[in-house]
Amino acid sequence: MIERITITGLKKRFDNVELYENFHLAFEQGKITTLFGPNGSGKSTLLNILSGLEEKDDGVITGEIHPHTFSYIFQNYRESLLPWKRNRENIALPLVFQKKDPAFIEDRLQELEGTFGDAFDWNAYPYQLSGGQQQCVAFLRAIITKPTLLFIDEPFSALDYANNLKLREYIQTYYLAHTPTVILVTHNVEEAVHLSHSIVVLSPRPTGVAARVPNPIPFPRSFATLTSQEFHATKSEVLNAFRGCSAV
Amino acid sequence: MTRHHYVGPTLLLATWGGVAGFGLVDPFFLPGPLETFTKITELISEQVILPDILATLGRILSAFAISTCIGVPLGLLLGQSERVYRSIEFVVDFFRSTPALALFPLFLILFGVGDASKIAVAAFSATILIVFNVAYGLMHSRKSRLVAAKLMGANNLQRFVHILFWESLPQTFVGLRNSMSWIIAIIIVTEMFVGTQSGLGHKIIDYQITYDVPGVYAAILIAGVLGYLINLLLAITDRRMIHWAHR
Repeated sequence: MIERITITGLKKRFDNVELYENFHLAFEQGKITTLFGPNGSGKSTLLNILSGLEEKDDGVITGEIHPHTFSYIFQNYRESLLPWKRNRENIALPLVFQKKDPAFIEDRLQELEGTFGDAFDWNAYPYQLSGGQQQCVAFLRAIITKPTLLFIDEPFSALDYANNLKLREYIQTYYLAHTPTVILVTHNVEEAVHLSHSIVVLSPRPTGVAARVPNPIPFPRSFATLTSQEFHATKSEVLNAFRGCSAV
Repeated sequence: MTRHHYVGPTLLLATWGGVAGFGLVDPFFLPGPLETFTKITELISEQVILPDILATLGRILSAFAISTCIGVPLGLLLGQSERVYRSIEFVVDFFRSTPALALFPLFLILFGVGDASKIAVAAFSATILIVFNVAYGLMHSRKSRLVAAKLMGANNLQRFVHILFWESLPQTFVGLRNSMSWIIAIIIVTEMFVGTQSGLGHKIIDYQITYDVPGVYAAILIAGVLGYLINLLLAITDRRMIHWAHR
């Protein structure tokens, strides 16, 4: 296993709550790893620490993490898109921040428009789109830089099931084309098993790794995968690990 | 304009006409709508009032332009940091609470009885109001989009140009619209002072001194319509520019 990011001895406190205390975890290069755990186990906090939004109290994180090579997809797409810019400008934004020249940006936009041109009106504003379409804009904004590292924080939780499945397909398509390292946070076991190579089940505070469940189902994973024998086997394993650590 | 937009003006005219027509008030103090509108047509067709309208409009627009050009950049600068703004907050609040017209005699000494003192006192109060609103818009803007931009690798200047400035724009427009209402009021009143040669405020006082009561009403109505139209124009601009608000 080639490690893309390694966390050793992570420590993080909030006021009087010990969230992480000597926490260890490694993320495999070019694989999708899901963090699965109860609310309050600090899944999102871990992403925030990795992406540099939050300071850690102690510990070592190795692996190159730079804003120009990673992208972050937020749970709250509505609050992360800029309503004063058209969808096209929203999608181009990360490249504008990286000061790429306009011809390069236009090329990348057209590349995406070839696949996603009909998904929504590219010249409209985000507030004119449905929730699913807005999350699609947020997704395209994240992949326009062709990131080698993707942080995805509960991106499905505000979507209906149809849009949820659609976004899973988008993420899978991008993954298969570019094999980035993906760290996905979710509290939905079906999403976790559907998308990832391994599921890290977190125990309650102070957070530890209760189990790391490998998921051998080959990609691409279709809708039919969701009803397959292997899918249920992995799902049961995850649920058992979860039950074992959280006393449900 | 939908049908219910006409209810207000119609009600106003009907009440006015009723009170004047039935002689509930001495007609000397309250001429009827007909008489007043005849006076307005007269003033306009004889080109008596046009120079005054233009003079008032010119002063209002000058004061608005000056206060916008100073207030918006200053507000953007001071709103950058909560600590910087807190340190000058007292000055802003003090002058925001001081009646602008109380300062007018001082401005008369400084700028003389011409246009300069009127424009300066209006621009001064309006600038304070704009600074306050722009700075607050910046300091109280939502942080989620800034965080997103930071994660996309935006530097400070990019975050300001693409995010912060726009986040503060709705509150900036609140400031601009309020300051315009202030400017209109201050300009009209300062035109009533001795030494003024033109302007709607000057006309109102002129007619009052000569007991031309229909003239007083006519000039007041024209000033009202002027103010209304300016505010309407600003409201439309606001809605066009801040198209994302409340969505």
